[in-house]
Amino acid sequence: MLKIMAATTKELLLLLRDRAGLLVLFLMPAILVVVITLVQENVMELTGQKKTRVVLLDLDQGDLGQSLEKQLEKGNLLIEQWDGKKNEADIRAAVKAGDYQIGIILPRDASAHFKQETARLFRQNKEEMTGQTAGPTFVQVFFDPLIMAGLRSGINAQLQMALTTIAMQAKLTILDRRLKEAMSGLPVPQEFMPLPGLNLPELLEQPLLSLKEIHGPRQAAGGAPYNPVQQNVPAWALFGMFFTAIPIAGAIIQERNSGIWTRLRALPVSPLVLFGGKATAYMGVCLCQFLLIALIGAYLFPCIGLPAFTISAQLPAVLLTVLLASLAACSYGIFLGMACNSYEQASTVGATSVVTAAAIGGIMVPVYAMPHAMQRLSIISPLNWGLSAFQDLLLRGNSLPAILDDLGRLLLFFALTALFAWKLAGTRHSRF
Amino acid sequence: MSGNSRLPAQEQCPALSAVAVCKRYKNTLRPALDDFSLEVRQGEFFGLLGPNGAGKTTAIAILTGLMPPDSGTVRLMGMGYREKHHQIKQILGLVPQDIGLYDKLTARENLTFFGKLYGIKGKRLTEKIQRNLEFVSLTENAARPVATFSFGMKRRLNLAAGLLNDPQVLVLDEPCVGIDAQSRHLIHEQLRDLNRRGTTILYTTHYMEEAQELCGRLCIMDNGRPVAQGSPVALLRNSGMSTLEELFLHLTGKELRDV
Repeated sequence: MLKIMAATTKELLLLLRDRAGLLVLFLMPAILVVVITLVQENVMELTGQKKTRVVLLDLDQGDLGQSLEKQLEKGNLLIEQWDGKKNEADIRAAVKAGDYQIGIILPRDASAHFKQETARLFRQNKEEMTGQTAGPTFVQVFFDPLIMAGLRSGINAQLQMALTTIAMQAKLTILDRRLKEAMSGLPVPQEFMPLPGLNLPELLEQPLLSLKEIHGPRQAAGGAPYNPVQQNVPAWALFGMFFTAIPIAGAIIQERNSGIWTRLRALPVSPLVLFGGKATAYMGVCLCQFLLIALIGAYLFPCIGLPAFTISAQLPAVLLTVLLASLAACSYGIFLGMACNSYEQASTVGATSVVTAAAIGGIMVPVYAMPHAMQRLSIISPLNWGLSAFQDLLLRGNSLPAILDDLGRLLLFFALTALFAWKLAGTRHSRF
Repeated sequence: MSGNSRLPAQEQCPALSAVAVCKRYKNTLRPALDDFSLEVRQGEFFGLLGPNGAGKTTAIAILTGLMPPDSGTVRLMGMGYREKHHQIKQILGLVPQDIGLYDKLTARENLTFFGKLYGIKGKRLTEKIQRNLEFVSLTENAARPVATFSFGMKRRLNLAAGLLNDPQVLVLDEPCVGIDAQSRHLIHEQLRDLNRRGTTILYTTHYMEEAQELCGRLCIMDNGRPVAQGSPVALLRNSGMSTLEELFLHLTGKELRDV
């Protein structure tokens, strides 16, 4: 224990003396998590995971615009009225520039045309219709070119549904009036009238079939729904933690390329003790990285307009995940340090492997958004195991038993890389 | 420096012995060591000389247990590396040619770290560090980072780190390469002192006058095997040469050895 503590103290002293290196270790993931989360906020707008901004140019200024706005606000749309003085070209340019995801234009006299057409449907005298041009009132819609196809199609359906509802309400109102007029002319007592005392539009608007979305335990427990912060904070913390593999490898290579490794091997101490000391010190760094990024998520993000990161439950399980991911990252660094022969080699192999593991592990793009083959490949990435455990805990509201498989993989990865590093330590002879 | 506790039962055995040691590296035509045998007696100051590529580095690595031989046996104070690996390391001191110190740590922090890896702690460690710093005349610079040291100071601290366990057998690989005359003189004086107090020393060097000045016995090796062994006086007398350098060139040839 004394020897492990000595090795840990030495590593911490070396880290503290290399302030520039230490700064990079903390600054790099901190900058990445802020930038990527801000970028993904925009992506979420484009994919409809947050309120979609709709601009409405109402050239008609009649009832139809108000009805449409009322209908659309029931959905996940944020309606903004466009200044009527500006023309159609301006609103099109604003949407094309990405200021809004959707633009809607109600043409002049749309309400009057709509009323006229609705009334015409119920005229009893068919002869009156002869020679008149029947047709719907057209509402123009246009989209931000970057908007995702799925969201575009969903909003189209939502708009169509709103227009259909408005049209149906108008038809029912006239039908109700016509029926009442017709029935009132008949010599039938009020109590024998069909649906006495009821308003037909209100009656037909009563829902008989409805969708009910069942939420996961987290949302059911009042937790925050999915947002990029809950995904990005653990994801980029993991990325930063695995990036410590490069300085660890660099420190080992520096020892091997000087007389230090020769001296260490001549001492009555196992390489495992030296590795243990190094891993303990760098695990401290990893834990601090996670803490820093979690604090940025919790306190800085709300100041820049992002949702706050929360760990409402499962704190021990989250800490266990951080600990095992750190252990895996450190042992990978030690393995790299023993397997590579120069710092250039270790930094190239280390950076390439960590970025690749991050990419296929879902750190940059969620695994579900990848092609099927890549989704299957993601299972080999240690970053995916860590991220998957965090997602289970922070997004799905699962508890420790649900992440035991991922934690087991991280532990196995640590054991294997440590074993390989130990074997290599027995065969590596530094310059004498 | 006080001498370490000696083991009475081992007094009669050689401090270091290698018998018929062979070592061949992968993808090489000839062996690095070929039937190499050597015996260093307890209390001796023994020099190992040889041109570049003669096999000195491999010999030292095998003699100190850093590398296993392909065949042959190596023993230190009568103990084999396979059986008594840990015990051997407790009584062996190694001063590598490359500086084996952390540049960003101070002299005292370096010695503290290596001392703790020997299992030394507390007051005993503090005393040993102080004594070793005095031994190499670095007490006043103990709190400075090694990176700020001159090369001679680094060499002296490198020696101090190799003495933390009061070794019975001290192996030094060219400890005076590239340093100033004052540092070299100090190191020579202190090594003589250590040897007088019973420490067995195996010393490799390229400087013939250094070997002649310090060593009681020498081994000149070439092509992986010893070509001459004995005291400097005896070697010169038997060969009829007037200087050790003349004898060295006679035995190993004058052609350049670019490895």
